[in-house]
Amino acid sequence: MKFLLGKRKRIIYARKIKEFWEDFRRNRVGLVGIAFVIIFVLIAAFARWIAPYDPIYDKGLAAEMAMPEWFTAFPQYMDLPQTMYFSVNWSVGEGSILEYVNFEWNWTDEELKIRYAGATEADIYLYENFSYPYIPPPRFDCDFKWGAEKVNETAYSIEIILVSPGGRNYSLWDSYYGYPLLKPKQTDEIPLLTTERKSAVQLNSGVSSLIRRLGFDPNNPINLTKLIFSEKGEYRLFMHVRFMPNSENATCEIFLKDTEFKILGLVHGILGADYFGADIFSQLIYGSQISLMIGLLSAILTTVIGIIVGVAAGYIGGAVDELLMRTVDVFLCLPFLQILIVLVFFFGRNIFYVVLLLAVFGWQGLARVIRSQVLSLREMPFVEAAKAAGGSRSYIMLRHIVPNIFPVAFAAMVLTVPTAIITEAALSFIGMGDPRLPSWGRMLNLAFRWGGFTRLAWWWIIPPGLAITLLSMSFVFVGHALDEVLNPRLRRRR
Amino acid sequence: MKGYIAKKIAYALITLYIIATLNFVIFQIIPVDPTTMMVDPRWTLELKEALKRQWGLDQPLGVRYVRYITNMFTLSFGYSFMSKKPVIVEISDRLGNTLILLGSGLVATVILGIPLGILAASKRGSKLDVLAIGGGLFTWGVPAFFIQLLFLLLFCNYLGWFPFGGMRSPGKPPEDTLTLIITTVHHLILPVTTLVLAEFGSWALYSRNIMLDTLTQDFIVTARAKGLKERSVLFGHALRATLPPILTMVALSIPPLFTGAIITEYVFTWPGIGYWFLTSMLKLDYPAVQGLLFIYAILTVGANFISDILYGFLDPRIRVGVRR
Repeated sequence: MKFLLGKRKRIIYARKIKEFWEDFRRNRVGLVGIAFVIIFVLIAAFARWIAPYDPIYDKGLAAEMAMPEWFTAFPQYMDLPQTMYFSVNWSVGEGSILEYVNFEWNWTDEELKIRYAGATEADIYLYENFSYPYIPPPRFDCDFKWGAEKVNETAYSIEIILVSPGGRNYSLWDSYYGYPLLKPKQTDEIPLLTTERKSAVQLNSGVSSLIRRLGFDPNNPINLTKLIFSEKGEYRLFMHVRFMPNSENATCEIFLKDTEFKILGLVHGILGADYFGADIFSQLIYGSQISLMIGLLSAILTTVIGIIVGVAAGYIGGAVDELLMRTVDVFLCLPFLQILIVLVFFFGRNIFYVVLLLAVFGWQGLARVIRSQVLSLREMPFVEAAKAAGGSRSYIMLRHIVPNIFPVAFAAMVLTVPTAIITEAALSFIGMGDPRLPSWGRMLNLAFRWGGFTRLAWWWIIPPGLAITLLSMSFVFVGHALDEVLNPRLRRRR
Repeated sequence: MKGYIAKKIAYALITLYIIATLNFVIFQIIPVDPTTMMVDPRWTLELKEALKRQWGLDQPLGVRYVRYITNMFTLSFGYSFMSKKPVIVEISDRLGNTLILLGSGLVATVILGIPLGILAASKRGSKLDVLAIGGGLFTWGVPAFFIQLLFLLLFCNYLGWFPFGGMRSPGKPPEDTLTLIITTVHHLILPVTTLVLAEFGSWALYSRNIMLDTLTQDFIVTARAKGLKERSVLFGHALRATLPPILTMVALSIPPLFTGAIITEYVFTWPGIGYWFLTSMLKLDYPAVQGLLFIYAILTVGANFISDILYGFLDPRIRVGVRR
């Protein structure tokens, strides 16, 4: 700007802006709107630092529709479990027979290697304690990788047991090689084979094999976790490894890796979790980016088209005017949302199509308003003077008409933002939004389709709706105030 | 007046023709082959070709275009892929449901909104005025579907006062008319209430502004100067002058209502044309979508036409004068 305008012009514009601000400042509604818009812009700009998680890809952070964490302040929700997620650091427990055993920890890979080389049986107990002071969780997971290498002349078994504070044992998983180790050792009749194996195990409390293993009928939907975690206190995760050699020089190496124990919490974060266990607060934060972008981009595009058409129709007049205004009439008769839905649906649910189509279907009202402004402007003395001084048509339009309609166009532009925001939200809500973006409308759509209503998960429904409302409302406030300050028709009435 | 009407009819028909053409263009350029929906993937190429021939899809573009336009204007939209019934039958089955929803919503909104706006204008600066302005801004800023979702959450899911959606309770339709009406009304209350809440503000604000414009005009000053009572100034003089723009606005507000009904019907699973539009599109039911788009266009153009005629009828300046 500085280089484009002369010093005199600069002073004039500075004075105009100052005058405008003096007027605007007195409009309390407008100030409130501006404040909110600034807050939303800041949130959108710093979303990456405010939001603790990725809005879409971080799933399974908590149980489905987990409540907000601050619910635990109320007595009836006090004992709801938080998400617990830890890598198990095994410690060697009592009763282990370690004569022929060699441990090797590889901390970078979180790998525990148990080397065995010996002649007699060895029992190794590994454990990790964790405290669980909540009511039973909906599910738990235990994932790990294990393998056996260099197995030579020995049988082995490995078992994972969860011990409750009351001392009850739940054998979650086991594997053995050789012969049934839990029975007394058999004689040489059964030949031993060496084998190597590697596998990743994912234990999940919802899987029927685990339910059956613990002695329950999987068809009878009893909640396993309710039983296991019915006590509050120190739980112990046990790993029992056993080697049973068949000869003097038996060897075996067992490794354990990436052991993770996870309990999905019923409370999560500031605003809870959605059906997929994604963080609602993060989605809300990132959603502001999308709504702001949609609103501002399509408003700018709309205004540009509106100004071009309005000025052309109003100033050139004649056949151009007739053609443009007939086009406006036809456009106003189009069932625009329906066409928008059809186009977006068939051409791909892409955010930029939405922006573009919102602009294509949104400029007509503005064009009409600007045309009528231009019609009165072109009769003004200064336009006449410019004409008499030999100004060309494009020169007059650009230098005299456009700057004078700019205030009205600006107010109208701000007032198009909420329409664009709400239309995009509605599109996303009926499932026509960009599925890759965490927009507020999409959140409502998911809540609507994935049981947020039947579960009364209001922390999933109200925040996005409120955010849409607040953002578009603040633009309405700003636009309304701008309209009052800038629109000459309204100024006169005051 | 006759010339005016004839001109408007001509405009309406031309607009419809342009929209039909646009419709044709849209379905020409969309990158989805209409046969994919009907054709079994196991079919041979010859069978597909035969099907295309049967539908006339092998004809040149010009022939198809002419056929398309004539079909649109004779309302023969073909058969729905989904239900195999004529599209026009399907539409007329559902249009009534949408009209019930929108009609009761519009009537309630207008009854609430317009008097509020007029009273607000007559008592400028009062609490009523603040309510009208606030309601107007509220309408502009709050997405209607959010209000609807909130109501759904509160009254259906939490309190359980109203059914979740649809137009009637599941099961056999009730025998006697009275029960039928009662169940329909029971299903209708929630959507209509939300429509009213979402819309009355804009009506209040609009009629307030119209009334304010009227109240500053010379004939009102004259009427006041004559010593007329404030009531007769308001209801005798000012109200009459505000009626044309307001009535026009009522007519003009109908097409956006149909648009909004898509969302409302989606929220409340109301078996109207909007809900059907969405489901047919998800199932790539081309004839249904095309037919509906044209029906929507007819509704829009028709509403514009009616508002033009109304305006011309109520405000003689328009008939004589050049243009809006």
